[in-house]
Amino acid sequence: LVDVEKNSLFASSFRGAHSRLTRTITQQRIRALVSAHQDRDMKKRDFCHLWITRINAIIRGVGVSYSYSRLIRNLYNKQLLLNHKILAQIIISNRNCLYMISNEIRK
Amino acid sequence: MAILCASTSTIFSSSERTSFGSLKKTIPSNQSSFLGFFPVAALSKPGSVLPTTLSFSKRDFRVCCQDLSLVPENQRWMFEESEADGPDIWNNTWYPKAKDHINTEKTWYVVDATDKILGRLASTIAVHIRGKNLATYTPSVDMGAFVIVVNAEKVAVSGKKRTQKLYRRHSGRPGGMKVETFNQLQQRIPERIIEHAVRGMLPKGRSIV
Repeated sequence: LVDVEKNSLFASSFRGAHSRLTRTITQQRIRALVSAHQDRDMKKRDFCHLWITRINAIIRGVGVSYSYSRLIRNLYNKQLLLNHKILAQIIISNRNCLYMISNEIRK
Repeated sequence: MAILCASTSTIFSSSERTSFGSLKKTIPSNQSSFLGFFPVAALSKPGSVLPTTLSFSKRDFRVCCQDLSLVPENQRWMFEESEADGPDIWNNTWYPKAKDHINTEKTWYVVDATDKILGRLASTIAVHIRGKNLATYTPSVDMGAFVIVVNAEKVAVSGKKRTQKLYRRHSGRPGGMKVETFNQLQQRIPERIIEHAVRGMLPKGRSIV
């Protein structure tokens, strides 16, 4: 593909003038790529946020004044390296396992 | 690989269920890079070397792995062969499918509001409506339950709020602000007090009303 064609191929699914006019195509392509770059890092943040919320939801059901922050403190004290993603997936698939882990850590 | 063998054998030797948490990390071979930084002594409880029969049943620990050939021989009992073809739960975060949030199958809660403090009650109601107490919480999907509040006119409020708490609304026209106290609103439309409280605790501008 010639470079001009590559450019407009990138913006071929954009709406209105953003896919038809050359100058706006280059501008919108730049903005799209910038968003993609930023959102690649935001994606990591978003997922961590989601896992933390899910873990918190279940951990608070364990007992009075037990929370995500205390769980993480206990995890670090016992030097257990489970990351948030794995913890969240354990919660969804096999919740008893998480209760076992948290009980063991609390001691 | 030498590190891998050593740590798994020490962990394997402790016969308690509780070491499962540490077992979980060493099994997938793509996480074996962790092992170099493992404080192995701190994790596993030293015990005598045990034969392959262990006290807990295979059924309790459902571990999934896509490719069983990567797992060393003596640990294959932990992996369910049937799960190896299922969805990859360790590399894809769970997202609810359409059948996980059908409206007709959600739980309904009935709450009696007599003599409950308004804000604290509204807080727990909002948590349940949003779905924040569930493991399956997803911000983009309404996974929450439905809540019915009974005896809304008997809700309690501390201090002088009965006479001093103001509920304001504006009609949009200039000079169109209407102010009411808690008492007056309770006489007129008692349900609105709880609705106002819970609505203020839910995310605005969305389909979770």
